[in-house]
Amino acid sequence: MINIEGMVAETAAKIFTDLCGREVPHQAEAGNYPQALWDALAENGLALAWVSEDNGGFGADYDEVFGAIWVAAEAASPVPFAETLVANWLLDRVGIEIPDGASSFALLDGKTASVSFASAADHVAVYNAGKSEIALYKTADISAGDMQALSPDGDVRLDFSGATPVASAATNLSRRAVEALILTVRAVQMASAIEAALNLSIAYVSDREQFGRPLSKFQAIQHQLAVAASESAAATMAATQAASALARNADDPEKAWHDAVVAKVQIGHSVEAVTVPFHQVHGAMGYTQEYDLHHYTRRLWAWRDTLGNEHHWSKTLGAELAVTSPDQIWKGVTTGAWIAS
Amino acid sequence: MQRFNFPVVQPDPALEELRAELQAFLKEEREAGNFRPEPECWMASSDPEFSKKMGRRGWIGLTWSSQYGGHDKTALERYIVTEETLRAGAPVGAHWIADRQHAPMLIEHGTEEQKRDILPRIAAGECYFAIGLSEPGAGSDLANVKTKAGKVGGGWKINGQKIWSSGAHISHYMVAILRTSPADGRNRHVGLSQIMIDLSLPGVTIKPITDLSGDAHFNEVYFEDVIVPDDCLLGEEGGGWKQVTGELAMERSGPERFLSSYITLETALHQLQGKLGSDSHARLGKLIASLRTLRGMSWGIANLLHQGVSPETEAALVKDLGNRLENDLTLQVRALLNDLPEDEWSDEMRRILNIGILRSPPNTLRGGTTEVMRGITARQLGLR
Repeated sequence: MINIEGMVAETAAKIFTDLCGREVPHQAEAGNYPQALWDALAENGLALAWVSEDNGGFGADYDEVFGAIWVAAEAASPVPFAETLVANWLLDRVGIEIPDGASSFALLDGKTASVSFASAADHVAVYNAGKSEIALYKTADISAGDMQALSPDGDVRLDFSGATPVASAATNLSRRAVEALILTVRAVQMASAIEAALNLSIAYVSDREQFGRPLSKFQAIQHQLAVAASESAAATMAATQAASALARNADDPEKAWHDAVVAKVQIGHSVEAVTVPFHQVHGAMGYTQEYDLHHYTRRLWAWRDTLGNEHHWSKTLGAELAVTSPDQIWKGVTTGAWIAS
Repeated sequence: MQRFNFPVVQPDPALEELRAELQAFLKEEREAGNFRPEPECWMASSDPEFSKKMGRRGWIGLTWSSQYGGHDKTALERYIVTEETLRAGAPVGAHWIADRQHAPMLIEHGTEEQKRDILPRIAAGECYFAIGLSEPGAGSDLANVKTKAGKVGGGWKINGQKIWSSGAHISHYMVAILRTSPADGRNRHVGLSQIMIDLSLPGVTIKPITDLSGDAHFNEVYFEDVIVPDDCLLGEEGGGWKQVTGELAMERSGPERFLSSYITLETALHQLQGKLGSDSHARLGKLIASLRTLRGMSWGIANLLHQGVSPETEAALVKDLGNRLENDLTLQVRALLNDLPEDEWSDEMRRILNIGILRSPPNTLRGGTTEVMRGITARQLGLR
């Protein structure tokens, strides 16, 4: 379980309860950005939770902040809270001054990278793998491709090739360390969204009647949601395991890479196994913009592509395991020690 | 608030020492030719000599008091022993059930005399138990049991039949759920009791059932006027239903629910190291991610049980996911093996793979079918 007790998570929970009721994601999508929600998060310092005290932040533990990320995803946050946390984590690593306002992040291999909340975020913090550099760009300075975004967050492909960063610094932070953080943040968001959509589905089938009884009384419906519930529980375990690996290896996030990838692969594959039954039991209602389900399912479809999809990551993990001894693989499965010490 | 309670629990160095001892022992036994690894070993692979060796090493009866021949350890030590023996495909079937569920039942409900007599023999790997739940008319509908125990002077007289009792042919006792008084109208959960039956008593007939592969590890057990003493009633008279459902919850989340076929993967990996192509990498990565996740869930439940919490729904979820995974594992290994010319597959690989395929159907049946597990989950979700 992701721990949602603790000051950071509880503060976030109060803000999202007060300022992100179920109508807010709908209003955001209609163009009314919930600035009050963002301002409350910023005023309470939540966006700086992972920033060191030297750089004006709180240096909060990984654990506590993952609770806040869970809470935000549960509320279908239409503001880039998790994205700003990641961006600021990156900037803090190289001591770049944290900009005011919301940010997003990218991992750049060549010229372009997928970025969520590219329009709501003022800045993008970029980890440039080839250059071993972390750079801060203004989103207004970067051209975006014209495309259909999957999620309400407006995930788009940005082309960084002609843009000049407002700040940049060399880093010895490894690619795997960055991947561990980003994949774990997404894993926690996804596990939370899966559970929220499960809860919506349970409520819907309990209410909706056909053939003179609630849908929930049909065994075919019960079993679809029972399977989805098992996937939801597994997703939460995978996300918690990754979050816990990061908390244990706060000094060397690269060591959390394997459990982060495990979570990516597990949850990425779960998306189809849950969004199909969630939509199926909702019937046509779940396909409308008016209803809430798509705030979760569209994000799940987008988030499973973060840093590449689940097939890419299954292959990446498998390629490494294919040259790992069976004894070491077993050790990884049972204890999380994936690499010989 | 999260719906399910699966704590993440870090490995404990003391437990890892125990793991290393197990690994050394299992390697030595295997290399000495004392066992041939098999999938589903906890159910279908029994060797009393091997069980006695485990007993001498102190690896049975870990969880109970040394006063009764146990080793004063916890369910977590037992978890390490069980997952290592499953990984090795070792012949642990003889003692598995007694160690897992009947010894704890005797500790809770048995008389002092029974505990002193039976528990040390279980811990020594010499005394085995069979489960007496299913009957010809009572499978998933367990409350439909018809086998009766009637009160007679100084004991109970038992008549009826149990079926699918794994290992009954080598077991010394069965704990059966029996009807000791009639159902109360439509409420069939009342009037059921758990009774321990010495399988050497007159009137007990055990007939093996041959499975589709030709093995005979499960049985029909008939009772004809079998008389057992009063103190063989375990727990409350008429309270058997509640005891059984609690017991099933405990047994559904263990490593045998998702690691039964791991030996098939392990054997394949030894053959395939460095030879897998990129399609196989994706399969392997996905499989290992699922195993790591399920192990986390199962280990989390073991820790809850250790703290005295009995999470019935979480256990049902692990069993449903785990049974699907262990069957899928066997299929994935078939695909992985394409990266090696068939000429190069070892006979051992073929033997283990084929046993795994032949033994796959009961995975999703025993201990409660997948459909029953989903029913339990649906109830917890508030759908029924």
